[in-house]
Amino acid sequence: MRVKVNDRELELAPGTSVIDAVFAAGYDVPYFCSQAYMSPIGACRMCLARIGAPRKDRDGNWLVDDATGEPKVFFFPTMMATCTTVVMEGMVVDTLSKEVKDAQRGMVEFTLINHPLDCPVCDKGGACELQDRAYEYGTGRSRFVFDKRHQEKHHPLSELITLDRERCIHCKRCVRYFEEVPGDEVLDFIERGGHTYIGTLEEGLPSNFTGNITDICPVGALLDATSRFRGRNWEYDHTFTTSLDDASGSAIVIDARTGRIERIKSGINPEVNKSWIDDGIRFGHEYAGDPERLRRPLLRRGDAFEEASWDEAAAFISERLGGLSGKDVGIAIRADATLEEGVAARALAELIGTGQVDHAPRHGPSLVPVHGATLQDLATATAVIVLGDVTEELPALDLRIKDALKGVSPPPLFAHGVPIADLRLKERMPRARERLTVVAPYRVGLMQHAGRPVVVPVGGEAAWLQAMTDVANGTDPDEGALGMGRAEAQGLVRQWREASKAVMVVGGFVLASAKATDAAAALAKAVGASQLLVPPMANGRGLEITQVLPSHARYDYRGMLAGSAKALLLSGLDPARDPATAARLGACELLVVHDLFLTDTAKLAHVVLPGKSGYEKDGTTVSLEGRFLPVRAAPVDNGEAEDLTGVVKVLGEAFGKRLEGRSVRSARRVLRKELGFDPAELDRLGLLHDLPRRRSGVSVGPRQEATGAALRVPTMVRPEYLARNPRLRAALGDLALRLHPADAAGHDLHDGDEVRVPVDGAPWRLRIVLSEAVPRGVCLVPATPDAPVGRAHVALEQVVHERRALEVA
Amino acid sequence: MSTSRGHELPTVTPFFADKQDLLARILSRYPDYGRRSAVMPLLWEVQRAERHVSRARVDEIAEILGLHATEVKGVMSFYSTYHEHPVGAYHLQVCRTLSCSLAGADELAAFLEEELDLVNGETDAEGRFSLQFVECLGSCGTAPVLQVNDSYFERVSRSRCRALLDAMRRDALPAPTVERGGDNEVVRVEGADRSATGEAGEGDRA
Ligand code: SF4
Ligand code: FES
Ligand code: FES
Repeated sequence: MRVKVNDRELELAPGTSVIDAVFAAGYDVPYFCSQAYMSPIGACRMCLARIGAPRKDRDGNWLVDDATGEPKVFFFPTMMATCTTVVMEGMVVDTLSKEVKDAQRGMVEFTLINHPLDCPVCDKGGACELQDRAYEYGTGRSRFVFDKRHQEKHHPLSELITLDRERCIHCKRCVRYFEEVPGDEVLDFIERGGHTYIGTLEEGLPSNFTGNITDICPVGALLDATSRFRGRNWEYDHTFTTSLDDASGSAIVIDARTGRIERIKSGINPEVNKSWIDDGIRFGHEYAGDPERLRRPLLRRGDAFEEASWDEAAAFISERLGGLSGKDVGIAIRADATLEEGVAARALAELIGTGQVDHAPRHGPSLVPVHGATLQDLATATAVIVLGDVTEELPALDLRIKDALKGVSPPPLFAHGVPIADLRLKERMPRARERLTVVAPYRVGLMQHAGRPVVVPVGGEAAWLQAMTDVANGTDPDEGALGMGRAEAQGLVRQWREASKAVMVVGGFVLASAKATDAAAALAKAVGASQLLVPPMANGRGLEITQVLPSHARYDYRGMLAGSAKALLLSGLDPARDPATAARLGACELLVVHDLFLTDTAKLAHVVLPGKSGYEKDGTTVSLEGRFLPVRAAPVDNGEAEDLTGVVKVLGEAFGKRLEGRSVRSARRVLRKELGFDPAELDRLGLLHDLPRRRSGVSVGPRQEATGAALRVPTMVRPEYLARNPRLRAALGDLALRLHPADAAGHDLHDGDEVRVPVDGAPWRLRIVLSEAVPRGVCLVPATPDAPVGRAHVALEQVVHERRALEVA
Repeated sequence: MSTSRGHELPTVTPFFADKQDLLARILSRYPDYGRRSAVMPLLWEVQRAERHVSRARVDEIAEILGLHATEVKGVMSFYSTYHEHPVGAYHLQVCRTLSCSLAGADELAAFLEEELDLVNGETDAEGRFSLQFVECLGSCGTAPVLQVNDSYFERVSRSRCRALLDAMRRDALPAPTVERGGDNEVVRVEGADRSATGEAGEGDRA
């Protein structure tokens, strides 16, 4: 379509909105209600322009202007909202004339009539769309001499989001967001006309994706409660980086001020998280600023710790190591360490001469699928099979799956980014639920959106997958394991097979078992689906492909803890909750713990080294789809904290060696050779880079799979830090033990009780949550890095009440 | 974490428990994908029977239609027809938009406030009268207009208003005035003698 915007002519695809035409032509038009990835609704009337187009007569010939001989342009009688108007052949758009400017000025004035103009005390000030647009397009003077509307200014929509109802300009972005993006319609306009306000009846906004509305609100009406009144926008240092909270590779922006992280906003990566992040990523950062963080190394002197310098700590470690045989030393890092830290761990292991090096948590099976899918594949799939609870395990997947149900393929990209007004998107679009099958051992949130939810028994995934594979291969299935009639199973299989693109998402419940993982691969193969495997932590896939793995299965992390190592260096891991492990750790000849806090394990250590959080590291991570993404350090005051490359540097020096991996730069030299590209050159969008399945295909996994009738389930939040994230904790409550009400009755448990209960023999303090979503006889407890997703034993008969919920008569 | 609804289910008897036929009839008017459209008739059934729609009823309707309570509340609050708190037996709605305003609606409103000792939005202790100011009732030609429950009373002068109030206090509300023809004809008031109070006439002066 040929379109002329002011003086510039351009060629655009049919279906493009006029507002995108204007931006594509390099002009600007103000707007409030349109928002990338959401439907245009023409609510704010800010994007007005004068639009004209040629017309045809009855015979289909262009009506011609006699004077010029050109097709005559007929202008619409009124200004048009450019966001809801589609381009037409020969269209002429005028955004510069006086009439247009007057109309825009009028709209700014109208929008400001009831706006309190309290920018000096508003958190959005300096980064506010209304402020900017009023400045660019307004008159700078108000003629409104009457009383403004007064409404509530500090309304807590939830513990995480505060609403100022006076500032709201009723663009409806937040309301539409909940319906269109996560599909949880928990927010709505209440009342009408000048009295309209945003409100909810749902206590605490029950959705895992509420924080995004604070990003898209064009004014300061919706604010992130963790950062309220913490700083002005121009004072923040913005760090564009990748979240290490899960393996989605979501782009985030860390806003820090005077050495403290104040808030996290969603970054933009159209192929990964678009512009959305979950609440765990957004609000789960407060722990990084906790006053109890370790700032200097600690050395044990008798029963107490003394602060020491890094050199003293390193000298102590190297001296102790000198007296040990190298192969008795174990090194384990948490699976959200960067690739560079992985290289450092490998280099240190090589120096010491040990094969006992591992990352944890790590499932037995490889995280590199044979036929891998990308997140874009998932978002454009016509059949999706989900095994597990992705809304908690890797929430970004949940949103991409909902994209697939809408069936709107990725939007075109303009020079100004994705369309501001994508006219294919509508409010309340029909969702093709039949595309989605969700299989889990309890009722998970995503099942509400699934055409076919299947609840399998605990540990029953392998049998279900096997039975479905049999159906697909035409052999006799175990009908009992199908959970549905054979005809229906055949229908499902046919649907997956005939789908133009089928993607299977494999979560932790399946990956915890080698047998189930193989069965999943077999089913995927049988129906022609590609796979996404969900790593237990951010960089699981990266640490696997860069071989931060033991030389032998018995030297894995569990093996080290079980006694194969006499000396241990643990980075970010805290296995001491289990009493037997704690006893063995206490007996170690050398225990070095590298962590943010004085954890239970650190308390047993000889040396404690201050570590960096995922917000403070420079490095590289690999997401679940195999995308290499840069991690950048926000300027945070963390004392003398170092990541593992820093640890390896001083240790190497103590041994008189300059190790590879002694700095991020030196580690990258190694990575460049191994990967074939330089991680330092990655841009924010990252790089999908398929590494050959080298040794990574080999299963170096736990030799024994967990048993038990209970389940450790993934949570969106990081349980290990929940206590230090006060806002998130207030919003979501303490770590929960979830069970069916009928089971609770037998153990005198009530909703909200706080109890102590052994989980696999380790004591846990948990809050009882009764839920019909949990099958009878099952209880759900949170998974942690040291006790990842999978089966467990919960000794309900040993429950001790810490505090009873107030009985409501 | 858990995204379960945060509040207890209502313990009151569901409104539609003994009205399954009615419910089925209402739902049958809409295709399955448009089930949510039934929110209006369901709200209306409750409002008519209970003179308000309580939170428990909002939850019940949400449950029936598979919506969040917030959405039901959004619809309900949009219309001045639905009420959170019970309205009185006589729900007086005074139009104060332009035509009525010019014809003395503000004086009428002040008179009612004084007479009933109520302000906009209030219901008296007895539960007899509720007073509400509303926007244009679409009967501008016969301003000022007072709507009592579902009926219009037109050209309501102060004396007429006083007479109406007295009648309502005796529970003898007269039939509505039907001056304009048209819309009001469809308001059938059981047993009302139209010629008794109606100022008959063409009156299409709007
Ligand atoms: S709260 Fe913000 S996003 Fe929501 S309608 Fe108001 S201005 Fe728009
Ligand atoms: S009307 Fe709001 S952006 Fe067009
Ligand atoms: S102005 Fe009162 S009915 Fe129209």
